[in-house]
Amino acid sequence: MKSNSRLMRRVIAAVGGLGLAVSVSACGSSGTTAAAGGDGEGGGKLNYWTQQDPTDPVLQAAVDSFNAADDADVELQAFASNGYKDKVRAAMGSSEMPGMFFNWGGGSLDDYTSAGLLVDLGEAVQANPELESSFLPSVLEIGKVDGTLVGVPMRGTQPVFIFYNKQVLADAGIEPPATYADLEAAVATLSDQGVTPFAVAGNADSGWTELMWVSYLVDRIGGPEVFERIRSGDASGWQDPAVLQAAEEIRSLVDSGAFGTNFQSVSYGSGGTSTLLSSGKAAMQLMGSWEYATQVADSPEFAAEGLGWVPFPAYEGGKGDPANVVGNPSNYISVTTSADRATAFDFLETTYSEEYVQGLVDAGEVPVTTNAEELLASAPNPDYAQFQYDLVADAPAFTQSWDQALGLDIGTPLITEIQKLFNGQSTPEQFVSAASALQ
Amino acid sequence: MRTRPNYAAGALTALWLLVISVPLSAVVVTAFKPQAGYIEDGPLSLPSALTLDNVVTVLSGDFPRYVANTLLVTLMTVAVVVALAVPVGYAVVRGQTWLTSGVFRLFLLGLAIPSQAVVIPLFLLINRLGLYDSLWAVALPTAAFALPVSVLVLSGAMRDISNELYEAMALDGAGPSRVLMTLVVPLSKSGIATIGVFAALQAWNGFLFPLIFTQSTSSKLVTTGLYDYVAQYGANVPALMAAVMLSAVPILLVYLFARRALVAGLMGVGGK
Amino acid sequence: MVSQLTAPAKSDVTPQQPPRTRRRVAPSVGRPGVVWAVPGLVFFALFAIVPMLGVAYLSLTDWNGLGSPQFIGLDNWRRFADDPQIVQAVVLTLVLLAGNVAVQLPVSVLLGVWAAGHQRNRAVLSAIFFLPLLLSTAATAIMWRQLLDPNFGVPAQLAGVFGGDGNFVGTSRGAMIALVVVTSWQFVPFHSLLFQGAARAIPHTLYQAAMIDGAGRVRSFFSITLPQLKNTLVTSGTLMVVGGLTAFDVVLVLTNGGPGTDTTILPFRMYREAFQTYDYGYGSAIALLLLVVATVVSLLLTRLSGYDKMQSTQEGV
Repeated sequence: MKSNSRLMRRVIAAVGGLGLAVSVSACGSSGTTAAAGGDGEGGGKLNYWTQQDPTDPVLQAAVDSFNAADDADVELQAFASNGYKDKVRAAMGSSEMPGMFFNWGGGSLDDYTSAGLLVDLGEAVQANPELESSFLPSVLEIGKVDGTLVGVPMRGTQPVFIFYNKQVLADAGIEPPATYADLEAAVATLSDQGVTPFAVAGNADSGWTELMWVSYLVDRIGGPEVFERIRSGDASGWQDPAVLQAAEEIRSLVDSGAFGTNFQSVSYGSGGTSTLLSSGKAAMQLMGSWEYATQVADSPEFAAEGLGWVPFPAYEGGKGDPANVVGNPSNYISVTTSADRATAFDFLETTYSEEYVQGLVDAGEVPVTTNAEELLASAPNPDYAQFQYDLVADAPAFTQSWDQALGLDIGTPLITEIQKLFNGQSTPEQFVSAASALQ
Repeated sequence: MRTRPNYAAGALTALWLLVISVPLSAVVVTAFKPQAGYIEDGPLSLPSALTLDNVVTVLSGDFPRYVANTLLVTLMTVAVVVALAVPVGYAVVRGQTWLTSGVFRLFLLGLAIPSQAVVIPLFLLINRLGLYDSLWAVALPTAAFALPVSVLVLSGAMRDISNELYEAMALDGAGPSRVLMTLVVPLSKSGIATIGVFAALQAWNGFLFPLIFTQSTSSKLVTTGLYDYVAQYGANVPALMAAVMLSAVPILLVYLFARRALVAGLMGVGGK
Repeated sequence: MVSQLTAPAKSDVTPQQPPRTRRRVAPSVGRPGVVWAVPGLVFFALFAIVPMLGVAYLSLTDWNGLGSPQFIGLDNWRRFADDPQIVQAVVLTLVLLAGNVAVQLPVSVLLGVWAAGHQRNRAVLSAIFFLPLLLSTAATAIMWRQLLDPNFGVPAQLAGVFGGDGNFVGTSRGAMIALVVVTSWQFVPFHSLLFQGAARAIPHTLYQAAMIDGAGRVRSFFSITLPQLKNTLVTSGTLMVVGGLTAFDVVLVLTNGGPGTDTTILPFRMYREAFQTYDYGYGSAIALLLLVVATVVSLLLTRLSGYDKMQSTQEGV
């Protein structure tokens, strides 16, 4: 037994040592492992991650022609949208970090920038000034974090506005609302008809749809400065009376049946709010411009004939300009430190190339490049494209959707608080204090 | 023995039969409905037409790969669990030192560790070992967390082997390895089958580990694949239901061909 | 003696201490040393115990996954005091657990005992009752998610008949009920199998003796069947508790913690903090809390049921 116990002692020491070593090293260095991955050496494959989306074929075409022309090996990988952000996040801490990836700019890139994982695209601009001059300045701004350019727009702009079912409104004998008073009247009329006035996705996955209502109301009532304060870290921005008033308006909308009674179980999109709209069970939906593509994929006849759109109404007595817009200025492509910088910078040029922009236009997007306006006439729905372009070009202020602007650590709990407001689990006052406690 | 018909039992089992069969038949029926009809009619209505389109849609996508991956992970998990738990069970039952009973108590305590609680450091460990996004990233932790129950079950099974047999082998001068291979393993076959089934079910059902430790399509499993389909198929509920139905097919095959073993294995979990 | 060797484990036997009689052979010959347990032990330590220590360490840090963790002492733990949702999460976890056990245990016992009988139709029905086990938790949750859809699922269809608006999973109570229903639907077949196996092993002599004494069906169920099933009840209950404390998949797929935070149980809250908000430090503190709750519940369970004493149910037969 003596040899056994000596062996035992050695084994225990080995296990203990191994365990300790592994746990300590596991915690600290995953970030640096990734950074050391590749810094221009040995090009190899350049991974380009994006979210699954009807515009993926346009990206794929750009990748294919780039690979052919430059003899490169860029690979596009599209991931299901629920969990795309998580996947990117998880990979950013590991050796699986993609070379380029699709993101929402603004606050969503804060963490990555402070961890030093993103390449400063200012260098790319210096080498190629067209990279900067080809985009609408206000949109390019959102690709910057603390003044450093880390993302280049690669999609159309996505303002949020009201979509409506022409037939349902015609049957109810009302026009799409131009003022908030019109909106409240429409709610009353439509509820009487047994139609849900506004489809909203209230289930726990889709709280961002409710966020849009809050964003617009705060903007209309108090102007874009209110959110600007919040975004720059001033938590007292939440105490602005506009926020409380917006929350109270939400309360009365819910109570008056504007969203129907079962919205807490409804999800966004195909099989949820979009189908409610196209099937006539709901009259209107406040949604981003990608809703059109969803409708085209889901119910093409409805998208072609029966779908209408109108900007968010003006709020009587509000400080915000009724022409202000909320939404996603664009989506951006960023380059990480694991990419072969030369190839990546070359690839960025595709984002404003005529073929790419044309491809986006054909897919129903409204690109934010300076050459976009001429191409809009060839869009599948030129009226729709022109509507969006004018909306964005004429907007004095374009506020980025709050969860993207604030970053995940505030954005995610904020959406939960908004959901509680909609569900009646919090009063407007409770919502305001909960929201300010988040920062 | 005179037996009055048990009306209460009859009524309850009829009720349970409804509870089980209605959702399952809704799934199967919906899987064969064309997409257009579903939105209008809802899940409980009879189909106006039947189509194989949904099954084709699912099978022509990445679904077969998900099934293959899951089968692989299941095999890997079972192999690791059996290879590790059998010697531990043996040591715990036949060993006489304070160390071996300490090991037993450690595994008993390990029963209480919820796998979610340690997922964060596990994630780091998997990264560090370079296993992120591989099938081993799922199999190894799943096997580890199946060990406590396996040790428990195996120790129960091995305890049943009578002392006289051990002593007879000892008289023969057999060392522990020979005793293990020629006596213990054959006689605890049912216990080994039980832990095999248990480990296989853990691997087949696993969701959190694949969700966190893998992300590309080439290493996706059926469970996480189904979750993706929810977003991907949207209103195409019949296709989603077809995927759900097809995900049950592998176990259904096992059930049909190895029913006794499967059921006996499951029953054995509670036996000790 | 042959039958004793080969019969599958069917009754609970006291773990035997080696008899303290004189042995003819040196006691350690042929016995495995602890070395045999080392591979399994190392593996388990690496994947379960070391991560637990890691969780304890991380709970004292602030870390978002990029860069290195910053040590902040007990700040994460102090945050619990300011976070009312944590208390809600613990309560919800226990409520869900209680609901699951309260539904699954009686139903499984009844079904298992019934299925242990020998009537012919029972075999066919048992096969049907087994079917939910073929679906993974994710598949089951997805199936129910569609079935409970407020506009296109069963509540909507029923709403046409019974009135109401089809909102079920979106209500606080409905969401909890849905979680219990889905989990029970999936696991009752498993637990009833356990009871079926155990019930088959109950010696008929006991029932015959009871009949002679004039005991009816109900009486013999409570006086004979249940006590004989005691060890299985404990095993099943333990598995239900462990499963209930870690029920995460169902919550993610079915309710995503909603409405609001009304089904945000502790494991889900941890997932949200760590993997959706990327606050690994706070998420680890929550994970440790979960561990504490799980350990307390398990200890209570084993103490209350005397599991660790592992008595035989065959005594006196």
